[in-house]
Amino acid sequence: MSALSNLLIPAVLFFALGFFARAIKSDLRVPPDLAKVLSIYLLMAIGLHGGYALGKADLATAFNSVLWAIILGFTLPLIGYGLLLMTRKVDSMNAAAIAAHYGSVSAGTFLTAIAYLDNLNISYESYPVIMLAVMESPAIIVGLLLASWSRQRIAATGNASEAAVIRQHGMGDGQLGSLLHEAFTNGSVILLIGSMVIGAISGPASMEKLFPFIDEIFMGVLCLFLFEMGMEAARRIREFRKVGTVLIIFGLVMPLIGGGIGLIVGAMILNMSVGGTLLVAVLGASASYIAVPPAMRLAVPEANPSFYLTLSLGITFPFNVIIGIPVYHALAEQLVT
Amino acid sequence: MQRLFPEKLVTVITSDVLEEHLVGRVRHRGASGYTIVRARGAGSSGEQSGMLDIDTNIKFHVIMPTERLSGLLDDLEQLINKGHHLTVFVSDVSVLRPEKYTEAME
Repeated sequence: MSALSNLLIPAVLFFALGFFARAIKSDLRVPPDLAKVLSIYLLMAIGLHGGYALGKADLATAFNSVLWAIILGFTLPLIGYGLLLMTRKVDSMNAAAIAAHYGSVSAGTFLTAIAYLDNLNISYESYPVIMLAVMESPAIIVGLLLASWSRQRIAATGNASEAAVIRQHGMGDGQLGSLLHEAFTNGSVILLIGSMVIGAISGPASMEKLFPFIDEIFMGVLCLFLFEMGMEAARRIREFRKVGTVLIIFGLVMPLIGGGIGLIVGAMILNMSVGGTLLVAVLGASASYIAVPPAMRLAVPEANPSFYLTLSLGITFPFNVIIGIPVYHALAEQLVT
Repeated sequence: MQRLFPEKLVTVITSDVLEEHLVGRVRHRGASGYTIVRARGAGSSGEQSGMLDIDTNIKFHVIMPTERLSGLLDDLEQLINKGHHLTVFVSDVSVLRPEKYTEAME
């Protein structure tokens, strides 16, 4: 019961409202660009906030967090790729694209976890914010490398028509270079890291003037954002049938694996508090739906977008918001104490 | 109706992640201009609601003299062969000032 009452926070309830409105086919609509605007605001606010806190934090721990964020970002997609290939339900190109989503992070889930912690008055470290920024890119790179490796393997098996496709792809260095450029100059990465730098180097007095913008209205904006994401999730969930049971199970199991690894990294390696450990677990558990999908769409066009979008947005995101966060919280308490 | 001159209108409907690439191709193929509108719809990539960056489609229009068309169609076919989802169609249109469509883009 207490776990349920912990979920009775406006942000989660607005997610549920959005989901419900879409599920009963309400005519409720939000302007098409609202989610894009809100996600720019949220990334900016969380970046400024994290940067401000990091300016006062211990550099060695910050460096350690970045290192582990990179390790997580590279490892999780490999685990996901292996699991997906074991299901034998998707080909290697789709597996590479889906796996990249699970190695990257969802800022929406992360912010919901922050709202959850604030509601319970649990403090948390600022390091997970920098991990959030760092973890956007490595998974994209792993996804691209897995895809290009799969293409070469398909070519090697000698399927003539597919091999012709591979040749047209011309996986030369030039293309890999532009893909890496894409991974590191991704809009959300630039915005998050840039805001963190601004937050870290700005004077405290000038930052305090920003607090109404980044602090006081933050939860309200998050409610609006999650409201719309609830509607998006409900829309995606209708594509369940196309995705199939096995992939849906993957969308539920993979966050538990990623979250478990995140819990261990947060509690045992980075020695964080319960709040910080929960946030690292959420980073491990969540799947991207902002940075990774456009990159995969451009670089792995062979993969079907409705697979990776339905999984990350329709299944894993609601699962983490409603079930995952309280579960990781309970486990974090066990691990830290 | 001797005032009107025949040209070809190429219309491409695809994901907006390809926008820059398409612009680069039509410039390279000597188009005099292009027009992009945001689009929503559904097809082989599932529903494209236009709510998120990832599911926003564009409708890309370019009017070209027939003799420059073939190179552009090659480029578009290459994208489709790579696995990108493109709806491409070419229509016959009539224009008032044909010389407008042979000038290079600014």
